Amino acid sequence: MREFLLRLQQHAKEKHAPHAYFGALGGAGFLVLSIIFIVGGFELGVGSPRRLGTGAFPVITGFILALLSMGVIAADLRDTTDAEKPDWISFVAIGGALAVFALTVGRIGLVPGIFLTTITASLPDPSLRFPGKLGLAALVSLACWGLFIGLIGLPFDAFMRLN
Amino acid sequence: MDILYSFGNGLLVALEPANLLYCFVGVFLGTFIGVLPGIGSMAAISMILPLTFYLEPTSALVMIAGVYYGAEYGGSIASILMNIPGTPSSSITCIDGYPMARDGRAGIALFASAIASFGGGIMGMIVMAILAPALAQLALNFGPTEYFAVILLGLVAASAVSNGSPIKGIAMVAAGLMFGTVGVDITTGAERFTMGVPELRDGVHLVIVAMGLFGVGELIVSIRANAKGEHDNEIDYANFYPSKAEWKAMVAPIFRGSGIGSFFGALPGTGQTVASAVAYAIEKKVSPNRAKFGKGAIEGVAVPEAANNSATQTAFIPTLTLGVPGSASMALVIGALMMYGIVPGPRLLVDHADLFWGLVASFLIGNVLLLILNIPLIGLWVKLLKIPYRYMYPTIIVLICVGVYSLNNNVFDVWLTLVFGWAGYLMRLFRFEPAPFLIGFVLGPMMEEQLRRAMLLSRGDATVFLTRPISGTLIVITALLLVYAFYSAMRQRRAGQNSPSTPEA
Repeated sequence: MREFLLRLQQHAKEKHAPHAYFGALGGAGFLVLSIIFIVGGFELGVGSPRRLGTGAFPVITGFILALLSMGVIAADLRDTTDAEKPDWISFVAIGGALAVFALTVGRIGLVPGIFLTTITASLPDPSLRFPGKLGLAALVSLACWGLFIGLIGLPFDAFMRLN
Repeated sequence: MDILYSFGNGLLVALEPANLLYCFVGVFLGTFIGVLPGIGSMAAISMILPLTFYLEPTSALVMIAGVYYGAEYGGSIASILMNIPGTPSSSITCIDGYPMARDGRAGIALFASAIASFGGGIMGMIVMAILAPALAQLALNFGPTEYFAVILLGLVAASAVSNGSPIKGIAMVAAGLMFGTVGVDITTGAERFTMGVPELRDGVHLVIVAMGLFGVGELIVSIRANAKGEHDNEIDYANFYPSKAEWKAMVAPIFRGSGIGSFFGALPGTGQTVASAVAYAIEKKVSPNRAKFGKGAIEGVAVPEAANNSATQTAFIPTLTLGVPGSASMALVIGALMMYGIVPGPRLLVDHADLFWGLVASFLIGNVLLLILNIPLIGLWVKLLKIPYRYMYPTIIVLICVGVYSLNNNVFDVWLTLVFGWAGYLMRLFRFEPAPFLIGFVLGPMMEEQLRRAMLLSRGDATVFLTRPISGTLIVITALLLVYAFYSAMRQRRAGQNSPSTPEA
């Protein structure tokens, strides 16, 4: 731990954090997840060796993952390589595009939903100007209308139902 | 001789103009639908099923089969070009197919996929023709202990899919196994980790996991890479044809993949995804080019494609000879047959020999059609990559959204894809590879089911896994594989420590 804190101080002013922090964070995430499954598994009941309960398999896999997570944390804390710089703008924009689709497709229909999704997804790329984004959104939404509803016949509403 | 005679008769049935036409229509529609991300063979068969009600049973089955393997082939096109698995079984193809496309070798990857699919399809057809009764018998002899041991071997081999540290690979497999338990427990009916969300009662759909981890996760990474010009490949459109060395490198993996795929396809409940995952993991261990796996190895495209296509053909063995569907798509095939009053089972080969052998022969014709149809189309598919990425990635996001939404017409699936997409990006950031997670997720529910059955039958005696000859042998192989994986990782680590210029792994 001391070594980890010393390295944290040492790299605090560097442009990229060393991978140790990210790697250990990943391992810690899995450790938390495994504890959730172990606790949940015990609550469900592990049964007996002859008749394994509903929670037995999550408990077994949870324990395996917990052990492995600790191994991952220990191994990654010794990692001295640079970490990749996260791209939070794309992270939010792509997630936002999926969220926009989920929020709009049932309310205003597939075609306008796709239109808004395309615009949201294209936001992080500055090389496409806003009129271009609008044009692309119009093209993609019309093409999807023709393909998924017109040609394949998927049971989607193209536009919001008026009634 | 009997087989050849029956096959000859089947060929005459399959070559009837009407059956030939329906085979072509099925293969064409299947490929087209399979290319669309998330809309896999099951959706494709569901869409085509109402049309088959007006056909003769043999024509209907030939068309459904064409749609089925056409969709499975089409799925690999999206995997290679966009890193979005068109079908669950083609998710393994992403691992090497997409890096090949990014290296400007998309045409060769698609060609390799077409050839491997053809090879796997033909091998699957031969296996079905020759070994259908014997393989069905062998599958019947597999008890829960044997199934469990096979799956365990597959999982340990799957951790070898990871190019990073084996400990992270196995951790990802374990996490996949854990997530596979979400939903209603099929034995007791109790809900597990659903948090009261009704949509989670059936568990998380594999397509959602694959689309999120591979599709969305990769897109987030690729936007900035594109802005830096890392995706501006020099694609040689004229060069789809693999070099002599690449041909040579593909032959053995196609045979191995076809063999593994034929075996797993014939086991009820396993299917193409398991077949391609296990074939890839084994190939990664035995290939002389194993260091290049995950970075664009042609063997990494050939092996899962051969395996999933051969499994697609042999999946008909338990479906038709035992009446046991190996997958949801095969359940639809059984449903279609029953609508014609044909009951699948051991009597099918006797009572409806023309249908069975007509179908087997149609595999040959269908696979030839698939090859004829798709080799000229490679240029068209590859040209998709010429579209500037700023137009491409918003379109891919839309295709992912529509593909996921079409699974159940429920936006909850889109939200879940968002969660898995973000998780996929964070995994990459933390240097965890998503592929072993996916394999654990696929195999987990089956593994749990077989474990519980085996423990129940052995009255709680866990030594049964070692005392039964087949499972005992498989478990010893698994243990050796684990020891080998950790030994090689430690050796690499020591080599890294001895070399001052090598960064710590």
